[in-house]
Amino acid sequence: MKMLFRPLLTVFLGLALVASSTGSGLLAAEAPDPVGLAIDLLRRDDADFRRIGLDAVAHATPGEAATYRYAALLAKLPPANQRELLAALGDRGDGAAAAAVTAVLLASEDVAVRADAIRTLGVLGNDTEVELLKASLAKPDPEQAAARRALVTLQGRGVGKQLADAARYGEPGLRPTFITILAERRERSILPDLPAFLSEDDAAVRLAAARFLATFGGPDQVDGMVAGLLKAPAGRERDELSRAVVVVCTTNDRHAEAAKQFLKQFKQAAAADQETLLPTLGRIGGPEALAIVDGLVADPARRAFGIKALTVWPTAEVSDRLFKLLGATTDATERRQLLDGLIRIAPRPDSTINDAKRLELVKQTMALCETDDDRRRLLDRADAIRTVAAFRYVVGYLDEPTLREAACQSVVDLAHHRSLRDAHKDEFAKALDRVIAVTKNQELIERANRYKEGKTWERKKA
Amino acid sequence: MAEQLSALDTAFTALAAFDWGSDAKALQPIDEAVVACHGDAKQRADLERRLSAMLSQPTSRAAKEYICRKLCLIGTAACVPALVPLLGQAEHSHMARYALERIVVPAAGDALRTALKTVPDPLKIGMIASLAARRDAQSVPVIAGILAAATQAGQIRLAVAAADALGQIQTAEAVTKLTATAVAADDAVAAAVINARLAVAEGLLAANRPAQARAIYQTLATAATGPTQAKSIKLAATRGLLACAEKQAVS
Repeated sequence: MKMLFRPLLTVFLGLALVASSTGSGLLAAEAPDPVGLAIDLLRRDDADFRRIGLDAVAHATPGEAATYRYAALLAKLPPANQRELLAALGDRGDGAAAAAVTAVLLASEDVAVRADAIRTLGVLGNDTEVELLKASLAKPDPEQAAARRALVTLQGRGVGKQLADAARYGEPGLRPTFITILAERRERSILPDLPAFLSEDDAAVRLAAARFLATFGGPDQVDGMVAGLLKAPAGRERDELSRAVVVVCTTNDRHAEAAKQFLKQFKQAAAADQETLLPTLGRIGGPEALAIVDGLVADPARRAFGIKALTVWPTAEVSDRLFKLLGATTDATERRQLLDGLIRIAPRPDSTINDAKRLELVKQTMALCETDDDRRRLLDRADAIRTVAAFRYVVGYLDEPTLREAACQSVVDLAHHRSLRDAHKDEFAKALDRVIAVTKNQELIERANRYKEGKTWERKKA
Repeated sequence: MAEQLSALDTAFTALAAFDWGSDAKALQPIDEAVVACHGDAKQRADLERRLSAMLSQPTSRAAKEYICRKLCLIGTAACVPALVPLLGQAEHSHMARYALERIVVPAAGDALRTALKTVPDPLKIGMIASLAARRDAQSVPVIAGILAAATQAGQIRLAVAAADALGQIQTAEAVTKLTATAVAADDAVAAAVINARLAVAEGLLAANRPAQARAIYQTLATAATGPTQAKSIKLAATRGLLACAEKQAVS
């Protein structure tokens, strides 16, 4: 509807010019013209009077004819006032101003005005403005940032399709940006294309596609994601894609179906590919995946892969297996892997077991630790169990010279939780006094003192 | 019923001895009777009569305040004579006005107007405020007179209260009086008169009389001298003019 009126704009703008040139003095005796009054105010030098006019533009004086008159004023104002009016027209939300805003964007030599015009077009524009905003993406900030945001908010039936086409066939350097914009718009029509993007040469495109899929992917995309995962170079990109697959298979809509599809792919994969997929399999977890991993552990030729998968398992359901394997192995590397896995898994928040069981796992793991470094890492993670029993356990290490700093850290971290601290005030006060006496870490001393006084503490921003 | 009456009698006995720190639960039957008498004219009149009668007895300030709070809910013209003597007593004037302000009968307005002429100066401000709260049109001439006299006599608080009251009453006569008021030498009085004019204009605008409101705003927006020249007033008047124009354009 808005577009039908667009060709008439020139005529309206002309009429508006005539109307405003006749003057509508604020105090004129003739029949009051609210739009004329607001325009008079917008021309004032005083910002407080302009504010009244801007409020009228944004929230009062309704109607398309009024919008055309305000829009006609845009080109005649100095840059600072143009910016104010652009924001007010955006708040007004009438697309009738879009053509005039576009004219300002094309004509202004002031970069801030152009950026504001772009922002306003993001609110007022529609399909017609996509090309212009796409072109603004190639400009430096603040225009680029404004255009990116505008393309996220831009309404119109054909906008999504135009952006999807740009993501498929557009300027190579901008394709990742278009994919990200589509994700922010929650535009799922591009979803079937994304797995193929994971195999493209451009790493930025692959990464943007992986992030999109992590948010919106489902079972239909799993095959393509697995193919992309196998092609991705080891390191950050593979990790990112692995995380995306895990989210699709454990969190997103229809995740159980997706996990099933992933298992199917895993079973069909060649042995070398299975090695690449194992960490992902471990993070997805589940009984069927565990059965596969058990099979791998039992196979001497593939045992290492199986153990690697167990050590990244998302829940503590594998802890018994890890203890058993650790007790039986004579291989130093394997032993190290298994112990690291237990140190990671034992204190980890896990809805499948209770806090008492988690603390029990920590104690069992502590008994198997071989070095002080292992013990320190375990103590450092023990504060994840927010119970008084865990607190008492770590307090027991405050007097062990080689472990006391890690114990101090956990005691202070547990004291951060007011409900736990207040419920055992005397015990915590005593432990915090001990921390203050033994630690060399100034930040811990400061925190301990604050908690003793019943105050809270905020981590300093880096 | 007899049991209920007995409880009420006991409560009235407690009220006679009631003071700050007494157990307010003892008065609960009166609270309940106030609620129960809604729609029962006879019961209401009886309760009003008993409460009014206690105002002339030597009860505590706390008891009188309690009675005034109840009379403001159920009071009629019948209780006005009992409240009138309290208007002139510094300790009780406030609560008597509290009741009279809310009793919607002409006699309550008459009582406040009469008291305005007789109470000591420090209590006049309260009478003016209560008449303003009632938007009592008949009090405009006397309040306008007080505004002029108090301004001249340098009684700033009284003059400000009078200006505020005219701004609240908002009748045509109040507008005329405010418009005719000379610019006061004292800033506080001048500001109160301007505030009152703005309040009147807002009232007119809300009552869908934008042409009359516009006339007031226009005067304030164009004032070239005096405190009305202050930017904040011009801004308020300008906003008002724009709102008037919008309303007129729509209608």
